[in-house]
Amino acid sequence: MKVKFRVWPFLALAMMALPIVPQALAGEGATPPTVILDKATLANGGEITVSGQAPAGAQVYIEFYSADKKVRANRFDSKKDPKTGIIPYKFYLTQEMPAFYQILVPKELAPELDKAKAEGKDWKYSEVLKTIGADAAYSAPAKIKIDSYQATIMASIIGSRGNLLAPMDDKESRRESMKLVKGRFGSVGKLLAANVETSPDGAYHAKIKVPAGQAPGKYSVIVTAVTERSKEGDLVIVKKVKSEAATFENTVSFPTMYLNSAGTSINLIWPFLLCLGISIFGVLMGAGGGFILNPILVSLFPLPHTIVAGTVMPTVLFSQGSGIFNYSKIKFINWKLGVGIGCAMLVGGFIGPKLTEMITLDQFKFAFGWILMVLAGLMFWQTTPGYLAKNKKEQAILKEFKKRAEECAQKGEEDTTACPTKQK
Amino acid sequence: MKIDFWGHEFKVNMWVGCLGGFLIAIMSSMFGFGGGPFMVPLMTVALGLPMYIVVGSSLLAIFFNTAMGTMRHMQFGNFDLYLFLAMFPAALLGGYLGPQIAKRVSPLVVKRIACGGLLLLALNLLGVY
Repeated sequence: MKVKFRVWPFLALAMMALPIVPQALAGEGATPPTVILDKATLANGGEITVSGQAPAGAQVYIEFYSADKKVRANRFDSKKDPKTGIIPYKFYLTQEMPAFYQILVPKELAPELDKAKAEGKDWKYSEVLKTIGADAAYSAPAKIKIDSYQATIMASIIGSRGNLLAPMDDKESRRESMKLVKGRFGSVGKLLAANVETSPDGAYHAKIKVPAGQAPGKYSVIVTAVTERSKEGDLVIVKKVKSEAATFENTVSFPTMYLNSAGTSINLIWPFLLCLGISIFGVLMGAGGGFILNPILVSLFPLPHTIVAGTVMPTVLFSQGSGIFNYSKIKFINWKLGVGIGCAMLVGGFIGPKLTEMITLDQFKFAFGWILMVLAGLMFWQTTPGYLAKNKKEQAILKEFKKRAEECAQKGEEDTTACPTKQK
Repeated sequence: MKIDFWGHEFKVNMWVGCLGGFLIAIMSSMFGFGGGPFMVPLMTVALGLPMYIVVGSSLLAIFFNTAMGTMRHMQFGNFDLYLFLAMFPAALLGGYLGPQIAKRVSPLVVKRIACGGLLLLALNLLGVY
């Protein structure tokens, strides 16, 4: 017993020293890069020149991201694992994705980025980061908290995300975060840019470009200087030093507003005008505007499809309600029929929104393309002579009935042969 | 099922109506639109009902779907207040201006334009051009 007590303090000391030793080794001889920004604020995007001094001969990577605006990102994994042949059906969800994220890499790596761009939509963020060595700088999204769910068909039918799985370890979480980043930001050009110029003595400069329509607030800039790369078998050992975070501010002003759940800023006049034009056109062609509004919104603006679908839907709720009210005033609704089919639609409406977040933006656009094809077909069918002749008759009957109904409603008569207003 | 409307009696196959409504509801709530242009053909063609029953009753059926879809989208955090506030007055204004303009244009011409426009938009979404 006595021996044990004497060993304890030494053991504790040794354990405390352990993490310090490698840090001391890594930091040896390399001072962290300095960071100087030529501007402290941007108004709805713009350019900032970053310059500073890194250790001579180092490769310089610059990571910058929206530090105080976070958004939701999710991914549904239904791809067959090539090794095991099992489809995972896992749903990954985070609420902490930075609303803007980019890594600037040395200028010489531009051809590598072009190669990744040529791969089209199926490019792999993690692989590109590895080949250009930018994984050394990838840090902010690696720390986000990611929940993973085991989705089942049954759970999806009842509209649940599935069972929450145990938290992933750091390595898994980092790997998954890269997939979420790619799913959120999409293209190579948005996530990576090759414009860091370094002179042999280690002085570097680069241009940070924040496009218009991004999150306002504080942005952090962290410079990573990779001083040495060596290979030990398959393992690449990287020696790097990171700078302190430098910050700048991005501001947006009305009518441009930051959309909290979308993670981007938008000039609100555009959706207003778009919605106005399309809803007028919708009335003219006898179809709701959502068909045209949704695909245009996701194509023109950096809005996630989940937000677009979830926000356009309530806008028509009111006009539908007032339509029902007007029709019911003249007793022009068959409640039995409407409620009967309505109950089936209630169930469908319960399931649908769950499915929106399980698909990617590209799948959303693709499926919408086919829906519009069918709709165009329906529209074409409604312009064929056969339909028109039939429709003319129907419209005449509709008008006649409506007239009668309005008259009856005015007179307030009930249950006469002319006005059978009490329906069973 | 038999329904009675303004003194006329119609036989409706509710199985077809409910199944069709269910599928249309999934699709429309998933992609965030109303579903009227699909519901009306379903009820006129598949159920064989005349237009004067369909206009009001289809609206009622769709309202169920829109209300439920809206609730679920909010539950999943898919709703953005500012975007909604920008579009909501526009939708109301459009609903007011639309019928005024509708009196002056031929519905046939509008449908032909819509048909072409929808096709172009569809091809764009499918990545053809």
